[in-house]
Amino acid sequence: MSILSSIMKKKKKQRKNDNYRQKQDPLKPEDLPILREYKENIRRIKEEFGDSADIVCRDFKVSIHKGALVYVDGLADNKVVSDFLLEPFMEKEIIPERIDIFQYVLDQAVALGSVESIADWNKVYDSLLSGNTIIFLDGCTKAISGETKGWEKRSISEPTTQLSIRGPKDSFTETLRTNTALIRRRIKSPNLWLESFKIGRVSQTDVGIMYIKGIANEKIVKEIKERLGRIDMDSIIGSGYIEQLIEDQTWTTFPTTYHTERPDVVTSQLLEGRVAIIVDGTPFVVTAPAIFIQFFQAPDDYYSRFDISTGIRILRILAFLIALMGPATYIAATTFHQEMIPTSMAIAIAAQRENVPFPAFVEALIMEVTFEILREAGLRLPRAVGQAVSIVGALVIGQAAVQAGFVSPIMVIVVSITAIANFSTPIFAMAIAARLLRFALMGLATILGFYGMMLGLIFITIHLCSLRSFGVPYMMPLAPFNINNQQDVFVRFPIWAFKKRPPFMSKGNIVRTGENQKPDPPKPNDIQETKGDK
Amino acid sequence: MEKAKINASQLFVLVVMFEMGSAILVGLGASAKQDAWIAILVGLAGGLVLFLVYYRLYMYYQDIPLTSYAQRITGKWVGRFIGLLYIIYFLYCAARVLRDFGELLTTTIYTGTPLIVINCLMIFTIIYGIHKGFEVIARVGQLFLMIIYFLAIVGFGLVIFSGLINLEHLRPILENGWKPVMSTVLGETLTFPFGEMVVFTMILPYINNPKKVKVVCLSAMVLSGINIALTAAINVSALGTDLFVRANFPLLSTISKIKLANFIERLDVLFMLYLMVGGFFKISLFFYAAVAGAADIFKFTNQAQLSFPLGTLVLFASVTIASNYAEHIKEGLSIVPIYLHYPFQVVIPVFLLIIAFFRNRKKNAEATSNPS
Amino acid sequence: MKKVLMVLSIVVMILPILSACWNQKELTDLAFVMALGVDKGENNKFTLSFQLVNPGNVSSAQTGGGQGLPIAVYKSTGDTLTEAARNATKKVSRRLYYAHTNIVVISEEIAKENMLDVLDALDRDPEFRTTTELIIARGSTAEEIVTTLTILDKIPVKSISNQIKSSESMLGENMSINIDDFLSGLLSKGKQPILNGYRLRGKKSGAKKASNLQKTTTDAYLESDGLAVFHDGKLQDWLSNDEARGVIWILDKLQSTDININWNGKKKALTVAPIRSKTKVSAKVINEKPLINIKIENEGWISEANTNIDLTNPDVMNQIEKKVEIETKKQILATVKATQRLKSDILGFGEKVHLANPRLWKRIQNQWDEEFADLDVNVKVDFYVRREGIRTKPFWSTMKQ
Repeated sequence: MSILSSIMKKKKKQRKNDNYRQKQDPLKPEDLPILREYKENIRRIKEEFGDSADIVCRDFKVSIHKGALVYVDGLADNKVVSDFLLEPFMEKEIIPERIDIFQYVLDQAVALGSVESIADWNKVYDSLLSGNTIIFLDGCTKAISGETKGWEKRSISEPTTQLSIRGPKDSFTETLRTNTALIRRRIKSPNLWLESFKIGRVSQTDVGIMYIKGIANEKIVKEIKERLGRIDMDSIIGSGYIEQLIEDQTWTTFPTTYHTERPDVVTSQLLEGRVAIIVDGTPFVVTAPAIFIQFFQAPDDYYSRFDISTGIRILRILAFLIALMGPATYIAATTFHQEMIPTSMAIAIAAQRENVPFPAFVEALIMEVTFEILREAGLRLPRAVGQAVSIVGALVIGQAAVQAGFVSPIMVIVVSITAIANFSTPIFAMAIAARLLRFALMGLATILGFYGMMLGLIFITIHLCSLRSFGVPYMMPLAPFNINNQQDVFVRFPIWAFKKRPPFMSKGNIVRTGENQKPDPPKPNDIQETKGDK
Repeated sequence: MEKAKINASQLFVLVVMFEMGSAILVGLGASAKQDAWIAILVGLAGGLVLFLVYYRLYMYYQDIPLTSYAQRITGKWVGRFIGLLYIIYFLYCAARVLRDFGELLTTTIYTGTPLIVINCLMIFTIIYGIHKGFEVIARVGQLFLMIIYFLAIVGFGLVIFSGLINLEHLRPILENGWKPVMSTVLGETLTFPFGEMVVFTMILPYINNPKKVKVVCLSAMVLSGINIALTAAINVSALGTDLFVRANFPLLSTISKIKLANFIERLDVLFMLYLMVGGFFKISLFFYAAVAGAADIFKFTNQAQLSFPLGTLVLFASVTIASNYAEHIKEGLSIVPIYLHYPFQVVIPVFLLIIAFFRNRKKNAEATSNPS
Repeated sequence: MKKVLMVLSIVVMILPILSACWNQKELTDLAFVMALGVDKGENNKFTLSFQLVNPGNVSSAQTGGGQGLPIAVYKSTGDTLTEAARNATKKVSRRLYYAHTNIVVISEEIAKENMLDVLDALDRDPEFRTTTELIIARGSTAEEIVTTLTILDKIPVKSISNQIKSSESMLGENMSINIDDFLSGLLSKGKQPILNGYRLRGKKSGAKKASNLQKTTTDAYLESDGLAVFHDGKLQDWLSNDEARGVIWILDKLQSTDININWNGKKKALTVAPIRSKTKVSAKVINEKPLINIKIENEGWISEANTNIDLTNPDVMNQIEKKVEIETKKQILATVKATQRLKSDILGFGEKVHLANPRLWKRIQNQWDEEFADLDVNVKVDFYVRREGIRTKPFWSTMKQ
């Protein structure tokens, strides 16, 4: 451990020394003024873009004044450009000669909602690449940028990875604005704040953080902003990038930030005082801080009644434990602790294993790896081929391997139960953690049976307890234990018992539910006057 | 000193885990036969008095551990020497518990495995925990206490439903009078586990709420004392006095007798689970006290650095302190209590408290006389 | 430098772990010893018979297997149990594994002479379970018991342990006694141990052949036969039938049994089956002399009535209860007499005296055998008939009319 950390420290030092490197991307043009000659400007743009085919330049005349507009085909909406820019320009026929043409166009000719005058090239590029249209006018050292954003975007569809039975059916898309709108539609309060950043030297990705002022902990918000500000990378392609750059611990298999594609989940987390990080181009919104138990809470827990949710949640945690320890327990029991297995079962297992050529560990490893390969293959295959893979897999794992005497039927049972249990963790990132640690535990169980396994589990527990997510201990309401915050851990309390926000997330404005929210219906006779059942 | 703060409930958990740690595993108070539970409760009463001594010392010096205030009380060099002795004592205790633990596993399940391998893996896990800091250990304690209690209740239920309890084994109470009971108390149950609370003199400065220390520690001791006594009583009533006295690990024998519905049987692994968690905390706390003490005396700023060399020391000490289990037990029953436990748990603290009392009275007297 | 040292020491610490897997044993390398038979061999040696299970032939779900015999028996000799067990490895291809051993069979000869030499090995070994059933081979060698094949259960051991259990709950002439129980009886001054006896009946030569499995009535079969009474660790005598049942009854292990009583001059006209029974034994000291009180509370139902009787009449019921009480009391007293004759306190009366009066016990514990032999014992039985099955009056009543 200490070796790792010392290496890290060295890296940190190096990073500090690298500070001379500029945040500016060397590929970017220097700050140049906009030229008077509009053709020169156009020429420069074309040159800079290497005459890319999707850069559209069109000359026009506003009465006698010449000019040109530039936009990126596909990012800007052609119809908007022609209807609200070109048409008004061309219709203007008589313009007094001695007028500030720039101001005139800005004020009277452009029929768009958001118009801006810009003076330096950097902004020209920024604005052009965000889908705006730039208007150069002959003889002016400034340019006009009109918002004509309108690229093709995916419409809001049903969530594909986090399904719910009773919850809303919308999910985030790749467009930042759509995503913020989805959240804002659910929290109609001016206290829902959105701050925007551009991250990525080349990609200039739009990143927004959302939180509810007064509920979110200011310190955590500040910390997140600082960490985002520290990112210095050429591009941010998905929210996964951001996640990995701002999380507290790299050397862990457990996710310390949460991600979801469901607006309702983000909404409820914002209301608990978390901060959402929305990245343009990714349909997954990252929220932080995250705690361990959060990864076992599914949206449906809150939409169905508490007794059912509680049962299901405990089942999920049990499934997680099975996914973590299933094959390891099998190995430990069959190679070290045969006395633990009831006699008839031990004999049955022994009979099945009689002709298997491998030791239990190798057998388990082969099956587990086969299954992982199958899963990985099935994950990314086109749907039509996917079916073929699952049929082949079922045959190979389920039947042929057993009939060939390669593996024992009980091993197949163990592997399948483990696999199914693994799927029942609502958030994939946590499921993957169990998947990886499972192999470590299998190794330990092979070396020293349950003793090795238990040591591994104690090791994992120490590790979990040492994790923090933006200052919040990862195992929060359990360790450090807080008796007042157990409403949403193993037992999901009735919804009216969620009186307060978790204090470790939010500071101030703690109360969330009014008094007397427990349903207290009047006596049946008060509502409907019955004269006895007939 | 490490910059850690733990709260009252974490302290409670640590005390409970520490006290129950290995005491539940071994046949504590076996020399009192069926009155083991009485010996344990009397030992508990004595332990509570001892804790009040440590508590008074803590009240005088709330922010510093024993190794520091020994220097304040007896002067720099004598104090350092005392501190050093305590570090060695804690290391020895850690090694002893580690040995107990390793012996149990090598005699019952891992008969073919060398002791050093079992111990090595355990100490490795403990070093990792210490490395992560005291707060982490406290948190792990909170998680495991829940698991342990859950297991304990399940185990208790199974013992009862398997019909193993025969309360007649507990009678006649005080068959041979108080004498054997008292000798068990003085020779065993007072110093182990209750007197071992002296470890907490190194840990109490981390508490964020000094006012609660007394109540929390005393109630935790009482709870764990009752648990240990209850376990002893269950062991006696399930095994009978003879087997209880002859068994190396009575709880293991009790659990292996569980047989329910032809399927729930051979639950030794439950016991092992408990054993590992309890052993982990007991060793961790002794070891942590030694590490913190060493860092304090030798002025190490980063005490995590010390955990590795000292851990190696504990590991090798654990395999070399005795050549076989019989010797280990003999040392533990007749030598260690008299030559180690009594001086370090009773004599030195009381002696420190007396000097501290007079020093502070003088100081207080000066303080009150000066303004007037 | 420091780091190099640290890495080195970590490597040194981890190295031993990678080098071997000490206690690892694959299931397929194990031979499950289901039963262990201890006989006396030549030159005072022990002859052990290991009943090993052949998993492939037991589990019928596996295709391809299931043809051969479910068990295999190996024999070996040695001066001590451990030596004999080690000698067995000359013949057995797999590692003998004792954790699933259900039964240890000890021959009558050993039980009479050197029973104690057998016990410590069983008690000490961590793999061996002390909850293993201990039985005595009566009138046959332990080997014969261990080698016999049974038809209902594929593994004969199961047949023995299940039979003891069913007998304990339905008849009450045997009770499950494991090594722990035996040892605690052996060590206690106020109690002597008992063990179940087992006998191989029928054509002994056919017992171990597969042909024994292919008939509906086997040529040779195992049967429990009485209780072995021990004294100072040596087999002293046997108790059987009603006396054995009395022992189980007094030890409060009896759950159900059957009691026949006479009615209107017809012998054994009624059969009553207790379904719940509770025995309380207590000791009292009167004039420095211990007195034992046995109180039995029973409830049950009438399972047979082979005479003309009006079972709807509560008064009749009362009479039945009275008769059962008298009959039970007679049997219990007979049992006590039998044990007193043997001077062996298998009933645990000494422990009761110990509890009641530790001071007196200290004085008399060394001559307890004599004290026990002329101990006064009071028996009080309460029996309640709760119901009489799904008929009220037996058909006999109608026939008589």
